[in-house]
Amino acid sequence: MADVNQRRVETLGGQPPARATVWAAWFMFFFLIAPSLIIIPMSFGDLNELYFPPRSLSLFLYREYFFESVWMETTFQSFKVAILSTLAGMFLGATAAYGIVRATFRGKKMLGALLLSPLFVPNIVIALGLYIYFARMGLQGTTFCLVLGHTLFVTPFVMVVVMAALRGVDPNLEAAAKTMGAGRIYTFRRVTLPLLRPAMVTGGLFAFLMSFDELVISFFLSGFGTQTLPVKMYDSIVLEISPVLSAISVLLTVLAFFVCVIITIFYNPDRRTRLRLARVAATDTEPLEK
Amino acid sequence: MFFLAPFLIYMGIVFFIPVGLILFTGFVSEDTGEFTFEYFQAFFTQGLYLRVLWTTIEVSFMGALIVLLCGYPIAYYLAKQPPKKRMYLSLFVLLPFYTSILVKSFAFVVILGHSGAVNWFLRFFLGSEFAVQLLYNRIGVMFGIVHDMLPFIVFPILVNLLAQNPALHRAAEIMGASRTRIFWQITFPLSLPGIFAGLLLVVVRVMGQFVTPSLLGGRTDIMMANLVDFHVNDVLDWNMAAVISILLAVMAGVFLVALARLRGAQIFGAET
Repeated sequence: MADVNQRRVETLGGQPPARATVWAAWFMFFFLIAPSLIIIPMSFGDLNELYFPPRSLSLFLYREYFFESVWMETTFQSFKVAILSTLAGMFLGATAAYGIVRATFRGKKMLGALLLSPLFVPNIVIALGLYIYFARMGLQGTTFCLVLGHTLFVTPFVMVVVMAALRGVDPNLEAAAKTMGAGRIYTFRRVTLPLLRPAMVTGGLFAFLMSFDELVISFFLSGFGTQTLPVKMYDSIVLEISPVLSAISVLLTVLAFFVCVIITIFYNPDRRTRLRLARVAATDTEPLEK
Repeated sequence: MFFLAPFLIYMGIVFFIPVGLILFTGFVSEDTGEFTFEYFQAFFTQGLYLRVLWTTIEVSFMGALIVLLCGYPIAYYLAKQPPKKRMYLSLFVLLPFYTSILVKSFAFVVILGHSGAVNWFLRFFLGSEFAVQLLYNRIGVMFGIVHDMLPFIVFPILVNLLAQNPALHRAAEIMGASRTRIFWQITFPLSLPGIFAGLLLVVVRVMGQFVTPSLLGGRTDIMMANLVDFHVNDVLDWNMAAVISILLAVMAGVFLVALARLRGAQIFGAET
């Protein structure tokens, strides 16, 4: 491995933190999860009004969500857009990451920064640009536009994750495959990509969640009938603050929790991923012939 | 180069052309078709726009400072934990990071609102007449922003703290320095690059905020992104919307260049 002499410290040295620091940290932890906790009792409220604490408990709001066609349609639309743009983003992100990390030409850093630039431009700017663009082409409000916009938004995330993982993949493995006559696409597909599986899962899940929760681009690009769940939620908070939102919020938080836990376990760009990669490389005895 | 082609072509069609269109809309007059500064002039001569610009800057910097004050203890505490425990504890910071901003905003409406949790507690202890206005003003915006941005400051600082050489702390301890002294003379100065990286990251992200000021702020807390929305969806003035987003992108760009110049700046745990 390239960085044998890179020092990694497990824990900051010195005495344990002062009691005030511990209190401050735990107070902030509480603040961080308070919103996720508060919506749980609210979601079991009964009446069609927001009141803390709820006066009686029921599943009324969950029923409202699952049987109200508007909520279900927008949820379905969000899944559709998120799945399509995640698949596109995984393809574009993985190829671009491979191209950048294995590139030998000068200016590859600049090109890499350029490809990641959608990460750093405020979403509202991307949204406005695409809005004007699609409006001029008469495509405004279609699901196709939403997927195009979301793909642009999620691809850099996949790229970042895959680039980090690629640095841990031994280029000699690819060189060996090429020496034995495999083409570059075949090498990428059969040698590199299997080694990148954890990164692809992580990047894909992350991209999915990012797209599923994205508001600003969807807000500008969606039209009548193509609204995603976050757009509908936004409208609902602005207009009436429907209590159904607390049931939806709980469901979305559960989704986020699972994605968060899976990613935290899967994505450890240091030792663990390397170990896993090494093990995959050592045991993957699948023959290379076509 | 072969593998770069798909995304490069995609970006050309879906990113560079739209960005060019924004520039075109902002700089080319609709009547004469010539290059003009008239829309920028319109922006800078109207009090309302300047006030929104100022609000955006003020909220970004104030927010970043509060986030730093709240986030540093978390990063420091996490850095002091053994790796396994740190992984579990960092879920407290990661979960909000993965939670939809709409969920968080809605939760804050519930928590801070007139019949919300905070006011319920206050009424419980201080009598039924008591209520504080925490929503639809600057306080509400700050609650939302601090909550939303904490992960972006905690992780750069945490990465920095973990990279510090433990021998320095050990040496200071052996020589009899107190915990406070070690912190202010060793840990804190060494963590400055992490602090600046985090601050810049937060400032850039807050500038483009759309949801928080719109849902938790009042009329005077409108920011640049909300102004873009207003011009596109209410007044249908694309030229002004383009001008505002150009200014927003330039402001973000200035801070990003500063961020890129900081060594050790890490975004999402990966060097970019």
